[in-house]
Amino acid sequence: MATTTRPVRRIQTRARPGPIELVVEGLREIWSRRQLARYLVQADMIKHGANTVLGNIWWVLDPLLQMAVYVLFVAVILGKGGADYPLFVFAAILPWKWFSSSMSDAILSVTSREAIIRQVKFPAIVLPVAATASGVVSFLFGLIPLFAMMLLFYADRITPYLLLIPAVAAVQFFFSLSLCIVFAAINVFFRDLGNLERHLVRLWFYLSPALYATKDLDPAKYGILAELYKLNPWVVLFESYHDVIYAGPKGVPGPPDWAGLGILLLVSFIMIGFATFVFKRLEPAFAKVL
Amino acid sequence: MVSILRKSRTEFSPAGPASLPAGPVDPGYMMRVEDLGIRYDLRLTRKTTIRGTFRNLTKISRDDRSFWALRNVSFEVAHGESLAIIGPNGAGKSTLLQVMAGILTPSEGRIEVVGHISTLLTLGAGFDVELSGRDNILLAGAFMGIDAREMRERLPGIIEFADIGQFIDAQIRTYSSGMRARLGFSIATAVDPDVLIIDEVLGTGDAVFRVKSQRRVMELAKAAKGIVMVTHDLNWAEEFCNRAMLLEKGRIIAEGSPAEVVALHRERSDRARLERDAEIARQVAAATA
Repeated sequence: MATTTRPVRRIQTRARPGPIELVVEGLREIWSRRQLARYLVQADMIKHGANTVLGNIWWVLDPLLQMAVYVLFVAVILGKGGADYPLFVFAAILPWKWFSSSMSDAILSVTSREAIIRQVKFPAIVLPVAATASGVVSFLFGLIPLFAMMLLFYADRITPYLLLIPAVAAVQFFFSLSLCIVFAAINVFFRDLGNLERHLVRLWFYLSPALYATKDLDPAKYGILAELYKLNPWVVLFESYHDVIYAGPKGVPGPPDWAGLGILLLVSFIMIGFATFVFKRLEPAFAKVL
Repeated sequence: MVSILRKSRTEFSPAGPASLPAGPVDPGYMMRVEDLGIRYDLRLTRKTTIRGTFRNLTKISRDDRSFWALRNVSFEVAHGESLAIIGPNGAGKSTLLQVMAGILTPSEGRIEVVGHISTLLTLGAGFDVELSGRDNILLAGAFMGIDAREMRERLPGIIEFADIGQFIDAQIRTYSSGMRARLGFSIATAVDPDVLIIDEVLGTGDAVFRVKSQRRVMELAKAAKGIVMVTHDLNWAEEFCNRAMLLEKGRIIAEGSPAEVVALHRERSDRARLERDAEIARQVAAATA
């Protein structure tokens, strides 16, 4: 028995690794533990389905009810909103629900697993990744009422461009992933980040063209702010979703803003690198603080 | 925040066969701890808020407020040895287990572990209470980095040993603490570790499971596995461990045969209690005078 060869593992202090080393290590951990990420996503689905009477029905109902609220508020009470406003709103609510729930889940993803972090050695970076990925499932469920609505009421807007939804969603995924990773790590040290995040995310929603179109804004009125506005990643994302689902600049569904999406994707990759660096740098302190 | 960024961190050489050093591999021990030290920064207290941090920032210059939970700790665990770590509350026992498990990074010194390590720290606390026992077994396996196929093969054995019957498909929230402990023990010992690290397991569970888990621990020890456990059950330490170590305030006070070390621990804690009582009596006397 004593002759069996076993790997020797050393646990020791070492010189602080460089940023590139940390990012590579973090990305490799995510990849090598994709099994864990998948289990965490499944666990999340089981919990969401099992805890409520209607279970998964809520994934379909939730965006519909939220759409109803906004339609009532904007179209009925304020008398604003263009043609087929319900579809316009729904095309924005769906991705936003995914984004905001990913953010709130991811922020708590590390702290809510504190018991296991203090017991088992595993790469914690998998936790925010899984939280972000879980949102994909509810997004997919939300496509059911979207397509049902289009078939029933807006059949004239059904075009092959709908098939480009996954492309826009992919860019959104990478963008939110970077934010989720970094916020999950910071929340370990500042537990009230969640409170702040809720309000910031809501503010962000109203600052983005979800309930209104960018062209409804008067650039002359806002001056320099109008230029800054274009830097908001959600301008690109919402407009792209509107392009493929509702209507592009020509008034009919068209291709998304490819240039904007491309730049955002590139920026997202850089942000993921930075987020991974921050996360990996803070990770050794998690077990001490939790 | 800044001070965390400056901390050094753990290195894990990849544990695959490719990383095996050439030549004789068996170093004669399962684990060696060398001059280990763990320092806590007291500014990083639990559940900080942003406001709390601003309050703390103003205090930074006053003192460096760090605290050594462990210092100058060195020992080895040989093949087939089961080492009991005993000591009063706050001695650094659990911290030591966390470093051995690779969860905490040593602030100084190093640890060498031969083979695969499995940890059982605070039994069952890592369970997801909204999932079934079965789902938790698979999830625990994924957390420990065990291949899904392998875990599914071990599933029947784990369920059988935990002996929780129909409850295996019920949510963990419906489990009694004894059932949680049994399931946790069953998972940690089923993964065939080379070194098993246990934090106070054997006090939990009913009498039948106690006997069963004791037998399992003995089996693992016989199979040339190393076991390190923290226990408050001094009888257990005397009876089933072949070595014991007494920790106080992060330092090793004594190391040797369980009987001797346990006797020393009893003597020292009795004396500490007497001193405390005397101190209280003095204060009471001073207050009434």
